[in-house]
Parts: sequence; structure tokens; C-alpha cells
Amino acid sequence: MNDLGFHLVLFLVVGSVIVAISAFYTEREDARALAIVPRRLAFFLAGCALVALLMLVLEHTVASVK
Amino acid sequence: MPDRRSHSGSTRRGNPNLAVLLTWLVPGAGHLYLGRAAFGLAAFAVVEGLYLAGLYLSGGMFLEYLPPEMRGRFAAALTPEVANLGALFWHVERFGYGPGHPRPWPPAMDLGTTLTAASGVLNLFLMARVHFDARLAAHDARVAPPIVAPPIGSGARAGRLGPAGAAFLTWVSPGLGHLAQGRRLRGVLVFVLLVGLFLFGTWLAQGSNLDRERHFYYWAGQFLLGPPAILVEFLHGHQRVTGEVPYADGGVVIASIAGMLNVLCMLDVYGWGEWRLLGEPEPRAGEAEAAA
Repeated sequence: MNDLGFHLVLFLVVGSVIVAISAFYTEREDARALAIVPRRLAFFLAGCALVALLMLVLEHTVASVK
Repeated sequence: MPDRRSHSGSTRRGNPNLAVLLTWLVPGAGHLYLGRAAFGLAAFAVVEGLYLAGLYLSGGMFLEYLPPEMRGRFAAALTPEVANLGALFWHVERFGYGPGHPRPWPPAMDLGTTLTAASGVLNLFLMARVHFDARLAAHDARVAPPIVAPPIGSGARAGRLGPAGAAFLTWVSPGLGHLAQGRRLRGVLVFVLLVGLFLFGTWLAQGSNLDRERHFYYWAGQFLLGPPAILVEFLHGHQRVTGEVPYADGGVVIASIAGMLNVLCMLDVYGWGEWRLLGEPEPRAGEAEAAA
């Protein structure tokens, strides 16, 4: 876990590209596609954080191997 | 204004799905079915020529890259070669997984497997092309030109190129299809984002991702990035890994994601080109009722 920060940066970089390309796919007009990227990125990151939180909770409760 | 007639030309009406199925099995067969014999035969010669050249250089050994525990019945289904299904069936039947014991690779193995994979990818665009040609012939027979071009981009260029051609250019280099359609900003952004992500992944993996033998399926993903990935592989790939690579797994996943995201860009240029030439798709029965 000592490189947690680097992993978060990796995730942010990859997530940004995924969201940007999917925004281009969704919107025909460039200006509108670029405008929706921040909101979609926030939604994407929040969703991923929720999944990560759920996995951590499960890891320490019903799926614990300790 | 886009010139739809330049695409449909002498194309005979036919079932688009059947045309795709025929092309999937035998490259060019779909165009023969649509009455475009010369194009079909030329496409067959190019696609199968690439496959045969690759087969010759690799000795038909590309499936021997797979470790024994992964050599299942459908192991070849996630390779780029699967888009040239007839050739792959013949390949599996003729060469399979080899004699069952390891043997040295031919000197031009990497080039050979790249050519067989390129043959599959090329046939994928041929399938897209034949499907569009069949739909365009049916559309032109139903709707009389002229159509009103939507208000953005360069219709003339989009009209000459066609959706499948633009998608092929996007494989040749991410963003190139957008540029050819006159969407300069999007093309530059796509190139920077995807090629940048691929190079970032390659840097993290210290080049260990650039080897089909080492990462058989991830390699298929990054192959979708096209010649930029192939070029980097032939310049820096296939190196022996002599020490620990801390982010090898992350790097190979990121490089593969870059290739797969390029598929979204291919779909984007295909959809945009289709929209320029055919206009908005007609709503289905359920959608029309819902709108009413």
C-alpha cells in the first residue's frame, strides 16, 4: 500500500481517457462532448469509489479470510 | 453535399447481414453476392494474401504461443484472426497447436503473426464496408436523392471516404479517420489521448507488453491501436526481461485499454459517416409509439 498514491494517479489518468473517449462517442459535436467530460468524470470516479468501498466492506466482513 | 451514388454505384440489392456473414467466412464473398465481382476478388486477394504471407513467415505456429493449459476449443476466438473466420478455421484444422512439444520459432515469427492479425482486422473493415454498401443500395432504391447534409463537418470528404473507410483510417492511426472527416479537434485529441495512453502503459511495463508470445490476449487488445502500436513493438518490443518490472501488469492492461478504446473511436467515425450519408436512422416501431 506504500504506493497507493501512484495507483490513484494511474487510475485517474486511465479513467480520464476512458471518460473523454466515451464522451466523444456519445456526442457528435466537439464542444458539447468536451463540456460533459467533467461531470461524467466526477460520476465515474464517484461510482468507482463506491464499488471500492463496497469491496473493502465485504473484504472485512463476510469475505474476510482472517 | 455528400455523393451517395459514388458508394452505391452498381451495387445490387441484398441482405446486409448475409453479405457480412459471407465476407466473414470468405473475404470478398459479400461483395460478389452484391454484384461487385472485381472489388470482391481484389479484397479476397489482399486479405488472404496477407494471411498466407503471415502463415508462411510464422510457419502456422501462432497458436503455439498459448501455454498448454489455455489451448481450449475456443482459444482462438479472442484473436484478431477470428475476423477472417474461414482462414482461421483452415489454420486450426491444418496446424492446430503444433506437435505438442515446444520448438523454436521461425526467424520472422513476429512479422508473420502481425500479418495474420492484420488480415483479420482488414476483413473486419471489409465486413463493415459490405454491410454499409448493401444498406446504401437498399436506401438509394427507397429514397430519392438529394438528401440534406447535416450542418457540421466536411460532407464532401465524408461522402468520398465512406464510414468503413473512415473506421479503417482510425485503425491506421487513432484520430486519422476523424481528420479525414474534417473533425480536426476531435482527431487530434483522440490521437493524443490514445497514443499517449498506449505509450504510458508501455513505459510502465518497460516494453514487456510488446510481445504476443508473452501477452497473447492483451496483445490482441493493443493491436486494435493499429500501426502506431505495431511500430513501437518492432522498434522496442520482444526484449528479454531480466529483472523485476514493478508495474508490468498495470502497464500491459493500460496499453490494451488504449487499443480497445480505439474501437469506440472507430464506431464514432463509422456512425458519423453513416449519419452524413444516410441521415438519422428511422425509429423502430416501439420508439415511434413512445415518441407519439
